Amino acid sequence: MREVAIIGAGIHPFGRFDETYIEIGQYAARAALNDAGISWRDVQAAVVSEQYLPSTTGPRILKPFGATGIPIMDMESACASGGSTLRQAMLAIQSGDIDVAMVLGVEKMPRGFMNPLMIYSEWQAYMGMSTNPSYWAMRARRHMHEYGTTEEQIAKVAYKNHKNSVHNPNAMYRKAFTMEEIMGSKMVCDPIHLMEICAPNEGAACLIICAKEVAHKYSSNTPITIAACVHTLAAYSADFRCPIDSLSAKANNPGPTEVTSKKAYEKAGIGPEDVDCFEVQDTDAFCELEIYEQLGLCPFGEAGRLIDEGVTEITGSKPVNMSGGLISKGEPVGASHLGQLYELVQQLRGNCGPRQVEGAKVALGQVLGASGNCAVTILKK
Amino acid sequence: MESKKRVAVGEGLLTGPLEQFEEVRLVGTRCHDCGEVMFGTYHSCANCASEEVEQIPLSREGTLWSYTIINHCPPEPYKGPKNPFIPFGEGLVEVPEGVRVVSILDCPLEDIKIGMKLELEPYVLYENEAGEEVVAWKFKAK
Repeated sequence: MREVAIIGAGIHPFGRFDETYIEIGQYAARAALNDAGISWRDVQAAVVSEQYLPSTTGPRILKPFGATGIPIMDMESACASGGSTLRQAMLAIQSGDIDVAMVLGVEKMPRGFMNPLMIYSEWQAYMGMSTNPSYWAMRARRHMHEYGTTEEQIAKVAYKNHKNSVHNPNAMYRKAFTMEEIMGSKMVCDPIHLMEICAPNEGAACLIICAKEVAHKYSSNTPITIAACVHTLAAYSADFRCPIDSLSAKANNPGPTEVTSKKAYEKAGIGPEDVDCFEVQDTDAFCELEIYEQLGLCPFGEAGRLIDEGVTEITGSKPVNMSGGLISKGEPVGASHLGQLYELVQQLRGNCGPRQVEGAKVALGQVLGASGNCAVTILKK
Repeated sequence: MESKKRVAVGEGLLTGPLEQFEEVRLVGTRCHDCGEVMFGTYHSCANCASEEVEQIPLSREGTLWSYTIINHCPPEPYKGPKNPFIPFGEGLVEVPEGVRVVSILDCPLEDIKIGMKLELEPYVLYENEAGEEVVAWKFKAK
């Protein structure tokens, strides 16, 4: 199969804005076209991901660039939307159908609580078991019980990510906080505090991808190879994300990030030891700890030790969330994974200034969300 | 005065006469092929896709597998007390049939501990527009 590479990347900062989703999406798309040095006329298909926007969002954003007649598809896979869209566009290139595609993620989410009836059963919402962080909290509490993970170790993840965000102009929050401030912030769902949770918001990210063998014809950028892009749904009872109403006490299936990353490592022909930097789904700070284990950065139960030892700091041997993570960037669901990949492209190009991982050559992005939707993408310089 | 008609908070979740709370049980679905037991009513197995399944009543006793405290009022259409909101425990309660069911915990917040013994406690959550009492469940310390 033909190799696929990224030749352009663009982003609209994540946050809250007065602009429409059309303006936000167009901003990122233009930035990616300019970065690649190509014209909209060179794009042969576009796949657009969003979860909280109207039907035909993609054409509404991109058709004004010129009605070139290419297919513009909208796709959604919850927090993993960017992975499923990228994969679809790659398949079109790998099959030989097209050479150049645009993958765009855009979101403008409603403020306040997300409508619980979009993901929970009515009875769960009536009874008050419809607070997303409560499900993350129950998983954290169990990990603490089984492995002795502490509230302080969970807070350290938020401390690290907030600290990293200071250097990321595209993050929503760009402020470092002390451990006292984080652990003293409002207790949302015991043991998870407010400063350990990501906020839904707005933003867009865009990649221009191309068959690697012809990349030089379109762009003078050094192509970044997409060594793997895998999207899966969690096995039976293997995930704890909302919405769940029960969990098997007998089944012992591996978690979605473990399954998905294993497939991705295999496709890329590498292991976790070969990856220089990671962007992962820190919906809440505990979630990042769990992902360390599922990505194979440490044995199960040892994520707390990993954060204590500073292994996942920018200066550590396995840097995670150099961008500040979702905790700092916020999570515009449709744009989230492509935003991670934007950051990783900049890391592989060596553009990241104070948050640069020295000599990064291989990078991994991971997302996980509702219904156990999980995506892992591995990029190689 | 005739007592009010009672209905369950959701379809296929509760079994037994809703007028006698001590007889009410949660519903499970057992798969004859893989043996998994799921909470609620399923027509095929969520694990192995077998259609050889049957509904069974789940035990009223369980142990707490994990929990959290809900400190802030859940979003609409939450039907519990709002003015003032009363913080409550939410947990996953493991019943002997091999499934952990999400539930509200009816015990002092400081007493909640993983492994504690619990017992099903049906209750009237609210009265609906038809004047019916809507029955939900909690688990209380045994």
